[in-house]
Amino acid sequence: MLQLRPAATLRALHEGGVAFVLVGGVAAILNGAPVNTFDVDVVHSRDIDNVARLVRVLEDLDAVYRMQPERRLKPNGSHLSSAGHQNLITRYGPLDLLGTISRNLAYRDLIPHSIELNISEGLRIRVLNLETLIAIKEELNGEKDRAVLPVLRRTLEEKRKL
Amino acid sequence: MDDQAQLTDYSPDGVDLTLIRWMLSLSPAERLELFEQHVNEIIAIRELNAAT
Repeated sequence: MLQLRPAATLRALHEGGVAFVLVGGVAAILNGAPVNTFDVDVVHSRDIDNVARLVRVLEDLDAVYRMQPERRLKPNGSHLSSAGHQNLITRYGPLDLLGTISRNLAYRDLIPHSIELNISEGLRIRVLNLETLIAIKEELNGEKDRAVLPVLRRTLEEKRKL
Repeated sequence: MDDQAQLTDYSPDGVDLTLIRWMLSLSPAERLELFEQHVNEIIAIRELNAAT
């Protein structure tokens, strides 16, 4: 049976020394929002050394592009150095590697808007904060972004009461 | 109806606030574990019903 293992994906990136910020649905869940998703979205540092580490981790994860998976096209350093999005499938499930999000926000732009969370023993990762997740969804303003905004906004309100 | 009103808590835009509070009562690690279990059970059900 197909199994999604987002924690294993994040552990592989972390242990491979990859610098990244978790964004998207899994970031919303870790921030306490009761939403659902099927993929792991991360914005990675596009520094040359980080991209080299990322390529090694992706090799270990058997990552290939989700588009035409039968061709088993692998992302390379050039793809991962771009500002674009790489939509991959790995042995732990879908993984989207985003060079930038929203208005060209890159890894270093997101660091001040992220928090570090423990997600399992010895695994502490950087996660985009709820305020910024909401701001990005508001800016994107697509149908799927608008659909999730009420839950994100109410979660932020409830968090602020704690 | 009054009893029911006390047992639920929805925001004006229809969001279930009890679900949010329950999620916020968990640690990030617990939220991730729960998400993994949840999504894998959905996948299992979808695979069982793949032909429909």
